[in-house]
Parts: sequence; C-alpha cells; structure tokens
Amino acid sequence: MSLHAEVRLEREGFTLDASLDAEAGATVALLGPNGSGKSTFVRALAGLEDADSARIELDGVDLSALPPQHRPIGVVFQDLRLFPRLSAVENAAFPLRAGGRSKGGARTRARELLATLGVPPGRMDARPAHLSGGEAQRVALARSLIGEPALLLLDEPSSSLDVRAREGLRPVIRSTLATFPGVRVLVTHDPVEAMTLADRLVVLEGGNITQAGTPAELRQDPRSPYVADLVGLNLYAGRLEPLEEGAGLLRTGDGTLVVAWPAGEPRTQFDGVTATLRPADVVLHTTRPEGGSARNLLHGPIAALSIEGERARVRIASAPPVVAEITLGSVARLGLHEGAPVWASCKAVELTLRLRT
Amino acid sequence: MRRVLVVPITITIAALCAACSGSAAPANGGDGAQELTVFAASSLTAAFTQIGKDFQTAHPGTTVTFNFGPSDGLASQIESEGTADVFASASGTWMDDVAAKTGVSDRVDFAENELIVITPNDNPANIGSIGDLANDGVALVLAAPGVPVGDYARQTLANAGVVQRAEANVVSNEEDDASVVAKIAGGEADAAIVYASDVTQAVAATVRSVTIPSAVNVVAIYPIAVVDGAAATSTARSFLRDVAQGPGQATLRTFGFLPPPP
Amino acid sequence: MVALAALGTAFVALPVVALLIRAPWAHAVAALSGQGAWTALRLSLQVSLAATFLSVLLGSPIAWVLARGRFRGRNVLRAVVILPIVLPPVVGGIALLAALGRSGVVGRWLHDALGIQLPFTTAGAVVAATFVSIPLFVIAAESGLRSLDPRLEDAASAAGASRRYVFRRITLPMLAPQLLAGAVLAWARALGEFGATITFAGNLAGRTQTLPLAVYQTRQTDPGAAVVISLLLVALSLVVLALLRDRLWTR
Repeated sequence: MSLHAEVRLEREGFTLDASLDAEAGATVALLGPNGSGKSTFVRALAGLEDADSARIELDGVDLSALPPQHRPIGVVFQDLRLFPRLSAVENAAFPLRAGGRSKGGARTRARELLATLGVPPGRMDARPAHLSGGEAQRVALARSLIGEPALLLLDEPSSSLDVRAREGLRPVIRSTLATFPGVRVLVTHDPVEAMTLADRLVVLEGGNITQAGTPAELRQDPRSPYVADLVGLNLYAGRLEPLEEGAGLLRTGDGTLVVAWPAGEPRTQFDGVTATLRPADVVLHTTRPEGGSARNLLHGPIAALSIEGERARVRIASAPPVVAEITLGSVARLGLHEGAPVWASCKAVELTLRLRT
Repeated sequence: MRRVLVVPITITIAALCAACSGSAAPANGGDGAQELTVFAASSLTAAFTQIGKDFQTAHPGTTVTFNFGPSDGLASQIESEGTADVFASASGTWMDDVAAKTGVSDRVDFAENELIVITPNDNPANIGSIGDLANDGVALVLAAPGVPVGDYARQTLANAGVVQRAEANVVSNEEDDASVVAKIAGGEADAAIVYASDVTQAVAATVRSVTIPSAVNVVAIYPIAVVDGAAATSTARSFLRDVAQGPGQATLRTFGFLPPPP
Repeated sequence: MVALAALGTAFVALPVVALLIRAPWAHAVAALSGQGAWTALRLSLQVSLAATFLSVLLGSPIAWVLARGRFRGRNVLRAVVILPIVLPPVVGGIALLAALGRSGVVGRWLHDALGIQLPFTTAGAVVAATFVSIPLFVIAAESGLRSLDPRLEDAASAAGASRRYVFRRITLPMLAPQLLAGAVLAWARALGEFGATITFAGNLAGRTQTLPLAVYQTRQTDPGAAVVISLLLVALSLVVLALLRDRLWTR
C-alpha cells in the first residue's frame, strides 16, 4: 500500500505546491519551519482544506474527491480536539460509533486500545478537561487508530506537551508507528522527533519541498540552510573561484571563505557551489590569533549561545555567519556570553564542497 | 469609582426634582401661563382638538392638553390618578361613576350622537339594514362592553331584536370607536356599529354607511363637567362654556354631532 | 458596583412588588373567575407555545444561513429578520394586516383561493406573536452557531462521522444552551405580545383575547381585577424561569 499525494493551493499571499510519497510500513516525517504549510498539507490530505488542485492516491484510489468522513484516515491534531462533553472512552470509541458499531462493542474496544497506549483504567471515564496532557494525547491517538485506517496523520503530536511528557510519550508514538500496518505521515518541527521516529524526511519550506530523503542522506547533503541547521551543520553557498595552488575562494552572499580545491576538478569558476562545515571543527578565540595554518578567520559578536548537555553551540554573527561547537568548560574558561566579540577560525580543508553539475 | 458616580447621580436627582416640581406647580390664578387638562371620549378627538386650538387662540397663554380614550378607561384613570381638569364622556354612566368616586361640578350635557352601521366599500356581506347583522357568517366588529359605543351598539341591536345572533357574530371587541372604524376601513371585517360622527369626510371615502331607523337607534348623550380638585377651575369653566354654549357648539356640528337635548 | 446593582435591581423589582402589595386580595377570587381570566390564560399558553414552536422552526434555518452562509446581502437578510424587534408592535400589526389581512397582499389569495382567514382567529394571534418573537430566537441561535468551534466538527468528520452524526452528537449538544435561551426569550416575548395581536387578530374572549389583552380590557372597568390578572402573568413567568434555573446562563 502506498500514498502519492500532490497538493497545490493558494491562500492570501501563500502558495503551497508540494508532493509526498509514502509506503506502508515506513514513517514519513513532514518537516519545516513554522508557516511553511505543513499543517495545511496534512489538512488537505484529510480533506479539511480546499485545495486548488489535489491528487491523493492511496493504493491507487484517488481520495481527493471524497469528504473527510469517507477517507480511510485517522488524524491526531496539533490541538488534540477531543470532544469536551464525551469521556475518554467515548472519545476513543467515537469513530466506531459513527460507523454504526454498537455502544458496548465500541466501548470495549476503546478501553482495550486505551490500555495498550498506557491510559490507567481509572482515568478512562474522565472528560478531557480532567485529563493530563499526556493522557489526552493518548486518547487522541486511540481515537485516530481505533477505526483501523489505512492512512495515519499525526500533526505535531507532542507539541502541546512539556518536555517530560513529550519524552514519556515518545515510546508510545514509536511503538504505535512501528506496529501500524498502513501509511504513516508525521508532521513535526522537532528535529529530534523527526530524526528518531522517521524513516524518510520530507522538508517543506515556504510551501515548497526543498529536500526529501532518509535522515542519513539529509545529514550528508543538506540542501538548504534550514536542513543544514536541522542536521547540525554550517552550510554555505555561492560561487567558487580559483585562488592559489590547491585553494579556492567561495564567494557567498554574506562573505568569503577559503576552501581546499576539490580534487580532480578543473581550475575554473563554478557557480552554485555549496560547502558544509562541522561546528565541532570551528575554533574560538577571544583575541585575534596570529600565525596559524587556518585559512579562515571570522570575527563577530556572539548572537546566540545554547547549551546541549556538556556541549555548547555558539552562533556568531560574522560574515559569513558560523556556528561553533565547544565544551562547556571552554565557555567558562573563555568567559563567553551573548554579545561578546570572538574570533572563529577553521581550516580550508575542513570545508566539504559540493559542486552542482 | 466614586467620582464616576457623582455626575450621573446629580443629573438623576436634578431630573427627578424637575419632574416633581413640574407637576406640582399650580396652574391656577387668573392670568399668566395656564394649563388645562381635558379627558375626552375618543369619539370627540377631531372635534375637541379643533375646539382646543380655537380656545388657545382666544385665550393666549393657555395650553389645552387632551387625553382621548374610551370613556370607561378615562373614568378609571381620573379616579385613580386624578390629573384631569375637565371630563367629557360619551355616556352618562361614566360621568356618574366619576361623580360618585371623585366628584364633579358644573355638569352639563353638550352634545348628542347617533349610531350608524358601516361596512367596507365593497360590502362583502351584503349588509342593507341593521337586521342583516344577525345573518350567518357576518364578521361583526363592535367596541368592547363597557366602552360607551360598545354598550350603545348592543342596546340598539337589542332594540332591533337581533342582539343575541349579532353577538354571536362578533369577531372582535375593540378598545374604542377609532379602532372599530380602522377594522372596517381596512376591509378586515364585514360590518360594525359606530357613532355617526365617526364617519368623517375622510372616513366616508373608505366605508359605506347604513342608517339605523330612529325607532331602534340609540341616542348617546355626552355630558361634560369640571372634575373636583382641578387646578385651573376658572379656565376649566371657561372651556365648558365654550363647548356647551359658545363657539364649540358650531364646531361640534361640523364634526357630525347633534345638538344637546333642550 | 454592588450599590449600583442594588439600585438597578430595585428599579426592576419595585413595580412587581408594588403589584403584589396593591392587589385587592380580598376579592381576588371573584376577579379571577368573573373576568374570563382562566380562558385568557389558557389561550395565552396555547398561543405563546405555538408561536415559540414556529419561531424555532422558522428561525433555525435563518440562523444557520446567517451564521454559516457566505453570500452577499447577508447583512440585509439579518436586518430584515431583526426588524420586528425595533418596530412598534402596533406598526407590526398594521404591517401584518397589509400582508395577511383579508385584502392583504398574500391574505387576499389565502382568503379567495383557500378560504383561509387569519385576522380575528387564534391562528392570527399566533402569527402576530410569532412575528415579534422570531427575531429574539434568531439572534440567540445565530450567536450560538457562530461561537461553535468548527475545529471540533472537523475532527469529527476526520473521525468518520457523517454530517448528520456530527450535528447530532457534537454540534447540537454544544448549541443546546443557546438554543434554549433563545426559545425562552421568544416564548416570553410571545406571551407578553399586545399591540400586534390586538391590531391584527382583534380581541375576542376565548379566541384571540390573550392575557395581556384581557388585562387591558379589564383595567378599563375594574383596575383592581386587572392587577390580579396581571399577577397571573407574573406567576406564569416565574414558574418557567424557576424551571430553567441556571441553564440559561451556564454552559
């Protein structure tokens, strides 16, 4: 079973033109910055959004003409949308009851499913207003699964939860996805969630797909600053000009970098070149370093400093901008803080080039 | 919060004071601004409005205010609120009532009125005489019992020997003669009994009249009097003279009223 | 704030309290039995309940279209439907005559072709009462529909519910309080309707003389009895309000 979806629509100044393919048994994550159109796309898949043109083929059947209630879908909404006047069990049982199943049968099945997802039996008769964030999320998940849909759409399923609840929910979502037999599309803006739950990533930026592939492919070859940031790399793009023997100059819109000339390539100008630089390869100095072998020396104030475990990611507003990754100890040792001026250096060979041919 | 309240409270108190003083100000005394309040039966509306205008012209500085309505309702009002200087009723019954409960003076009969049957212009129920009002299916409109013209109508129907069947034909008991006329002029009902004076020139264009033979017709006698406790007694008496003997009589004639009994 | 509220409440409560004080309790029984009060009460209940039913029946689609429809002239439609509220009731009665009276625009056809007459009938009283109470229901119902969260209905659709099922299990329960409030307002207005009724339907005991008309007529001859009959109306209203309790104001 497979899904092939093409959606095109125009709203006040925003155009969405994207397509997505997914196979049963693999989870596709739809990623992108806020406002890129991810939720709109998924709503179009569900039939809740009027598209200018849409083709949604699930196993060869075009769903685009069908209203939502006739599509074999299960949806978990970003804002959950549990029915406030129904209990958790009634919420979960809703799709079965809407389909004509008896009250008793539907409720029994609902209770089973809720238990599988980790909802304590004592909470099953509570109304959504009295459920914790994590419990409510599980109920929403149950409601989406109970009808045994062919297509499961999860729209930012953990975004309304705090960090702890989110972490508690992740195994539940993972096992749900793993055991779900149909096609799964997960919308998220959380890179960790995307990287850990998805088999394939589709990146949506400003209404268009900028890249699609496995997490490894994206990591190796990010094609936009967003994706690069996602996978934790610095990305530069511009024109490559020959410098002296073995070196070249990459002219980007924000500044220039000295790079090692790619082996076997003719010494001419190349347009549309991208280069990636691992933040761990960037060295920071509080005073201007003299006489080193690093060909690139950037200078600027620290724009942002974020701690991740024992490491710190330092974003510097230099020309071009660069992100460096150093130890927490170094932060303290160098007395680094936001706004402080620093020097960042990296070697020409540390930049990995990709020529577009 | 308190400061916000000062202005509205002051305004309210001032308004209340003005209202109180306004109604308590005595309108008696010979000269200066006079206010005369006249309660009159609604059948007198057109005639008395004209008489009032003429009176104001003849007595500069005097304002005549009218309250027109069914005589029974007016009597009730006078008895409970007592704000009338003069009462002109369409029947002696209600004048007697006011005389008994409140007290009147200078009572005099000033006009007579006869009844008439009216139908819409196209006379859908083919009414030719008062007896026809008893025919099956006639939609008859009368003023409510208690309203003088309503009582008079039922009396004349009794005189004609058809009151029971006619009463069965009544589809609505209106609050006054003006409402009855409106129902016929609008073509909503088949027939009605009102005062002859109600068929003014304007009304005559929209209804057909059927006279009631004098043998069975009822003559309504209109009394007028000064109400006890009136503020402007001399002006009130002046108005009474106007109506009962003076130029008011001519005016009443033009509006279809008959002269008072001798 | 509390002081102001007390003042306002006193303003509203005083007339009703005064009514209770001034009522001639001594011959209240005589007053009630002699003036056709019970007939008027029965008629008032029949007419007002029928008018409420019609207001809900006719008003619901209107409210739906006003809340959900997307067409030009929606504001005009709303203004037309709300008009009876600002129209003086007697004017409403005159307008009803012009439309549905014996020689009215539509009334003429009803009378000549179908033999149906509305003035001077109980049906006419129902028409007059419905005319003035529909707007109240439409306002409440439209407001209720607008405050509905379409996202919940979307979720229900996505969960496989047909339009009818969504309406029955999701929309209607959320709407119920507003609809009930609208119906009660409409009923109250229908119960108290006077000007349009007396102008359009006339005044005949047992057929068109509802309680307000009976009070008015009684007052001309026996003000004390009129007070007693008025209290009947007050009692009726209190009973309904008591039955509703808080449901009007809480979700």
